[in-house]
Amino acid sequence: MKLPQTPQMRAHLWVSGALGAAMLLHVVHVPVWITLIACLCVGWSIAARTGRLGLPGRFIRSTIVLALTLAVVFMFHTLNGLNAGSALLMVMGSMKLLEARSRRDRLIVAGCALFLLLAACLREQSLSYVPLYLLVAWLVCTALAIVSHPAAGASSRASLLLTARTLLYALPLALVLFAFFPRLPGSLWALPSSGGAVTGLSDTLSPGSISSLATSSDPAFRVAFDAAVPPARERYWRGPVLHDFDGERWTMSWPGFFRPETVERLGPRYDYRVTLTPSLQHWWFALDTVDDSPNDRVLLTADRQLMSSRVVAEATTYVAHSHTQTRATSELSGAARRRDVYLPPRRNPRSIALAQELRSQAPSDVAFVRSSLEWIRARGFAYTLTPPLTGRESVDDFLFRTRKGFCGHFASAFATLMRAGQVPARVITGYQGGEWNPIGGYFLVRQSDAHAWVEVWLEGQGWTRVDPTALVAPERLDRGIEDLLADAGSAPERLLHSLRWILKLEQTWDAAEAWWDLRIVDFDLQSQFALLAKLGFNSPGWADLGWALAAGLALWLLVLAWQFGRLPRHAPADRLARAYARLCAKLARVVIARAGHQGPLDYAAALCLGYPEVARTAGPLLNRYAELRYGPPRSGQDAAVAAFERAVSRLSLTAPRSRARASRGR
Amino acid sequence: MALALRARLKRRMAAWVLKRQGRDELPVELRARRLYILPTRAGVGFALLLLCMLIAGLNYGNSLALFLTFWLVGLALVAMYRCHRNLLHVVTAEALTTACFAGERGRITLTLRNDSALARQRIELDLTEDAAENASVDLPVLSTRALSISVSAPVRGILRIGRLRLSTSYPFGLFRAWTWLHLPLELIVYPRPRGNLPPPQHAGTKPGQAARGAGDEDEWLGLRVFRAGDSPRQVAWKAYARGAPLLVKEYASAGSDLRVLDYADLRSLGPEARLEQLARWIVDAEARDEHYALMLPGTQLDPDRGPEHRHRCLKALALYGLTRGVA
Repeated sequence: MKLPQTPQMRAHLWVSGALGAAMLLHVVHVPVWITLIACLCVGWSIAARTGRLGLPGRFIRSTIVLALTLAVVFMFHTLNGLNAGSALLMVMGSMKLLEARSRRDRLIVAGCALFLLLAACLREQSLSYVPLYLLVAWLVCTALAIVSHPAAGASSRASLLLTARTLLYALPLALVLFAFFPRLPGSLWALPSSGGAVTGLSDTLSPGSISSLATSSDPAFRVAFDAAVPPARERYWRGPVLHDFDGERWTMSWPGFFRPETVERLGPRYDYRVTLTPSLQHWWFALDTVDDSPNDRVLLTADRQLMSSRVVAEATTYVAHSHTQTRATSELSGAARRRDVYLPPRRNPRSIALAQELRSQAPSDVAFVRSSLEWIRARGFAYTLTPPLTGRESVDDFLFRTRKGFCGHFASAFATLMRAGQVPARVITGYQGGEWNPIGGYFLVRQSDAHAWVEVWLEGQGWTRVDPTALVAPERLDRGIEDLLADAGSAPERLLHSLRWILKLEQTWDAAEAWWDLRIVDFDLQSQFALLAKLGFNSPGWADLGWALAAGLALWLLVLAWQFGRLPRHAPADRLARAYARLCAKLARVVIARAGHQGPLDYAAALCLGYPEVARTAGPLLNRYAELRYGPPRSGQDAAVAAFERAVSRLSLTAPRSRARASRGR
Repeated sequence: MALALRARLKRRMAAWVLKRQGRDELPVELRARRLYILPTRAGVGFALLLLCMLIAGLNYGNSLALFLTFWLVGLALVAMYRCHRNLLHVVTAEALTTACFAGERGRITLTLRNDSALARQRIELDLTEDAAENASVDLPVLSTRALSISVSAPVRGILRIGRLRLSTSYPFGLFRAWTWLHLPLELIVYPRPRGNLPPPQHAGTKPGQAARGAGDEDEWLGLRVFRAGDSPRQVAWKAYARGAPLLVKEYASAGSDLRVLDYADLRSLGPEARLEQLARWIVDAEARDEHYALMLPGTQLDPDRGPEHRHRCLKALALYGLTRGVA
């Protein structure tokens, strides 16, 4: 389709393009019909501009807008959420495009596009999206310029360049404001639900739940240790603690009402910094066992689990301290004991019988734990990501029939055995291990490192970690899961990891992402004060923030004023113009000056009328100038200009008779 | 009430600007001292948008949203500098007015010159900030461009153009930089050509004209520059051979019709109506390519024809009875 090349059309196409680019950031998060309607509106508005289609009337437009708004409300049950909001913006922006006639309408559409970009930033802040955001911002700003001045002589390419340069000049200010503009310590209202996918561990454990994570190489969190690094066998990252068992599924129980046991911390203390990737879950992860809660908003429960009052919706960083060895100095309360030895009646009878048999042979709890582990080890269990299905009696099926399973199966079965032998036991889910990133200096813990293990209460020792999976697959603890299981990770990923430089590239990118999450995404008031302290402020406060802001702003404005005040400098005249000016000056001294409105030919005519003798010599030169300046370009132009210069220099004018009279007149 | 207050404020501002800048003489270079800049309505809207974005970013502690907002703040400020620079050091080289009849629209034409190595875009000219009509022009590097707007001229006489506004909102339309030009511009407004009295009959020769000699002998008037449409026979070929541009010999032909349009003949009409009737006759005579003379009390214009004569006559009508300085 050939589009007419009017300025209005140009403005319309640009603003449609900008809106389209901004909508592209949301297409996967809104229903398909929203995208379809938006595309339809954009296409219709362009077709209407070519005159092929009429535009809907005001009544029809209002009806459509109302219907679409209701549809969005019906779909999302709110207009406040991020997805609902962006869907509504998409609908409204594209409908506005349909009625966009004036510059003001198009500016409103450009504003919609900016808001869509903002919504995209609120939803997703990861580094990989940043180039896309930059591109959209560039397009929208260019559209703003073109909509404001569609008829300006600048081409679209020139407008793009102009916007790019303007954005480049604006960048230092953006950095200064970003660094020093004071952030709110809290928030005025809560983040609307983004409706994004919840990732990572959940609050339940069923036989297959963790193996679904094992194929995902997405990062769960990153950990940088300050000094001492625990050995690989002790890198258990504790997450949700599960107490309640229904024979098949483990679930969390209601937290609270249980007094935490007092413990004595043994061994070295590990100090580290964790950066969580957004999971939309409440869990924070820490090395087993964390000393204290790292944040006011995060509760350290009686079973030593970190629970945030808010879901992790963006990259979150905290500093924590842990000891990997502890000993309880108090007794387990009766209620807690009852909870952690409970088994659902009449479920998994064979397992219970086995446990009672083993318990009766064992002199102590510790011996019972040992003999149970030994029982599992001797039966040739297999560790696999794709275990056969287990039935309703999942533990019996696993222990006596399939004997193939993933960490969830082992933990579940072992905890069942323990409870059947009256040893308090709980299932812990979390992550184990982590991949060292030498570039960023941290451990990357992926979703595929998700793990489940068991803690049993032993008298005099307290809660003790037992990992039955380690019996079956001891290498699991030292090496990543991908090396161990042929079916973990996708085939191309495994192939790629066999290439050293690709691994290096991936680690570099991950380090960049980690830096981004830690330094940019998680930049808050505390980080601002830390930055000020680094700049030499002693115990920085709000006022210092203001000073730094003012100083940065003033410096930027000064540089800008210098840069833009320096220009526009006068362009040097070219040789031809200088020679022409000399010629005119010569003539002005002898006869009359060239008037401002006269071109060279008018001037020659005036000379002819008043001073024919002067015109005889100067007239051809003036004609020559007009020819050189305005005539078609020819080869040998430089030589012709040089000849003209020489002719002007050689020109000697004899004062006409009127000269004496003129000088007397002055 | 609000409107009156606004108008008063505007008058005060205009007076202040005039006092501050003084009257201008051509050529006027637009230096920083005489440039003013304020956000446009779009700019205020953009600021509100940024405020919303800032609040959202601060509330959610969202670094990327805040960075985007701050970057756009920077963009707006750089746009302010760019807008100011777009007008800086532009030179108003010349200003012309084109006369018109009362009730029609006259034209003001400014010649703008760009001596710098920076291309200027979208420089607009209007009379006041809320004038309906404006015109705009792009000024490439080292260029001169004309820019003209029309002004309504309801009454015959002299229309003084108190001030003109040169402005620009390039590149982003968020700010408008402008300057006020106080140029000594006067626009001649001819009387409206109106009236249906028959024109005076061919008046024959006037006193003094007989001395010119009768017959087909045309009187030599002089040389003028060749215009498209001139007959090649009238070209001064000898002068051209000497290197002069194409010139045309002009003669006054004495043989055509001559009408004397006399103010005193129109006793039946009021003073303004007389002027309007005379204007009608002049326009008609010029359209028929006749010679005509105009006689006003105290003024007498010799018979002639052509655009310049027409202008002289109509200007005499426009200024008739006016002491200079009253529009």
